[in-house]
Amino acid sequence: MLTKKGKYGLKALVHLARLPAGQLAFVGDIASGNNIPKKFLDAILGELRNAGFVQSRKGKEGGYRLARPADEIRVGHVVRVLDGPLAPIPCASRTLYQRCEDCNEATCQVRHLMLEVRQAIAEVLDQRSLAEMRDIAIDELPLALKVQA
Amino acid sequence: MTGRANSIIPNSIIIVGGGASGVVLAAHLLKSPNPDLRVTLIEKRPHFGQGMAYSTLLSAHVLNVSAAGMSAYADDPGNFWRWLLERGLATSEQAPVYAPRSVYARYLKELLDELEARERDTGRLRLIREESLSISPTPSGVEVALANGTSVVAHLAVLATGHDEEPGAGQGHAIRMGSEADTPLAPEAPVLVLGTGLSMVDAFLSLEQRGHRGEITALSRRGLLPSPHRKGNPIKLDVADIPLGTQLSYFVGWFRDLIRENRKAGIDWRDVVDGLRPFNQKIWQNWPASAKRRFVEHTKAWWDIHRHRMAPEVYARVTDAVQTGRIRPVAGRVVAITVGEAFTVEVQSRHTKRLETLEAARIYDCTGIARDISTTSNSVVRSLVDRGLARPDPLRLGLDVTANCELIAGDGVVSAKILAVGPLTRGTFFEIDAIPDIRVQCARLSKRLLG
Repeated sequence: MLTKKGKYGLKALVHLARLPAGQLAFVGDIASGNNIPKKFLDAILGELRNAGFVQSRKGKEGGYRLARPADEIRVGHVVRVLDGPLAPIPCASRTLYQRCEDCNEATCQVRHLMLEVRQAIAEVLDQRSLAEMRDIAIDELPLALKVQA
Repeated sequence: MTGRANSIIPNSIIIVGGGASGVVLAAHLLKSPNPDLRVTLIEKRPHFGQGMAYSTLLSAHVLNVSAAGMSAYADDPGNFWRWLLERGLATSEQAPVYAPRSVYARYLKELLDELEARERDTGRLRLIREESLSISPTPSGVEVALANGTSVVAHLAVLATGHDEEPGAGQGHAIRMGSEADTPLAPEAPVLVLGTGLSMVDAFLSLEQRGHRGEITALSRRGLLPSPHRKGNPIKLDVADIPLGTQLSYFVGWFRDLIRENRKAGIDWRDVVDGLRPFNQKIWQNWPASAKRRFVEHTKAWWDIHRHRMAPEVYARVTDAVQTGRIRPVAGRVVAITVGEAFTVEVQSRHTKRLETLEAARIYDCTGIARDISTTSNSVVRSLVDRGLARPDPLRLGLDVTANCELIAGDGVVSAKILAVGPLTRGTFFEIDAIPDIRVQCARLSKRLLG
């Protein structure tokens, strides 16, 4: 389940990935450009910096930029840092396992299937780079949906 | 040129190096039902399957992985364990068993003997006891030149030459244990060992066997000794749980927290370290170059003593030797060596920075297996690098290869004809020194090449 935090983080990174290499962006500009609360974005960017995805510079000319080229950062890597283990429901995680109050995890078929689902989530998100996500053409999306329908 | 090209049989593969990696690869390739397959295994030593790792005859030199993990086959993990049980070399109550390496060499030899017998009529396996000098691409494949002046041709060649046989450059007067320079020593002679890891432990066991009684100074940057194995169950992890592609400090923080959480639940750290093992290559491959470099420089020494452990009985002997002063671990570095009747070695302590002078009749190189590949003593590898057909990986741990084991040439072009498996591919696969990892690599490569 992608949280708001994960979604905002990815949007911020796409924002940075659109800039010429090395150019810094103000937190305020990223926030207003993507409808993200600025305080929340500060916290998110701080976590992304700790994990080594972005770099920051302080001061009047300060801001954030990608620490590595956008094609070297995988979407799945970012989501794990912001949202923790990839998992469709909280009980489907091995490290941050949260027991459901109302079921027995050993016999819960839902959990078993969701453990499989998370592998599929990892496969998709770990294949896609930030650059690929940035370059998804928005105008093609409705068309793709129409074709599928 | 045309004549030779015509003589090349489809699906022919030469494996250069018939040590453990080479035999394991041959065994996986020959699982293919393809009747036109031709596998040629070339080894310069008199015995196949031994290489450096399994050529020791010393019974105290046991495997560092328990028998349950040492099968040659990726899809049959119990193969070696059953082999031991069938021959009465172990009983199921004894598990975990750390078998002597000479027994493992016998296992690989029998495995190869069986393959040879099975393939005698098909002609799909050919063994050549000769040194390989070089590999050259030809218009239709590869040609491997041998020391006897002949050559062998095939569609492609896989390097499986393993670890270097000579001490690394810059080790000065240090020699490898068991090499020609390793002449008899006086029983009381003091000895300096460069390195404090599993190779040092092997050297200590050899010295004991030879009746040596003098002090052994074991020197490394941090002076850390490996930990012992303990019976346990690796924790279960999925790739979705593991932070990939982060900076090293972030990952190390996550891993420390994971160990702490598990210890609270009464789980031994070994089970956490071992639970991560199936993902180690993935973790390595997803790290940015800076994280890889930092890991090798700063974290690897700590990782190694927790990850590469020794059998409990060996640990007991080493601990006793340290307590009685027979082995003296020192954290520091060699500043100078003066050659006289013996070596006078000046060592600077890592912590106090004080200089200490010690006498040693012999210096053994046990600095381990990772070293700069461009200074290798292996002529095949060196000639490939010299001709630009191969290049070291960015950290110079091995040859630069793709995730499909293909060599990357000096100009960055990927070779479809020359590949590598085992320790040579450390730069890309990182943990690829032990059978449990090598067999998986060989299984994947076989599947990719032969379907």
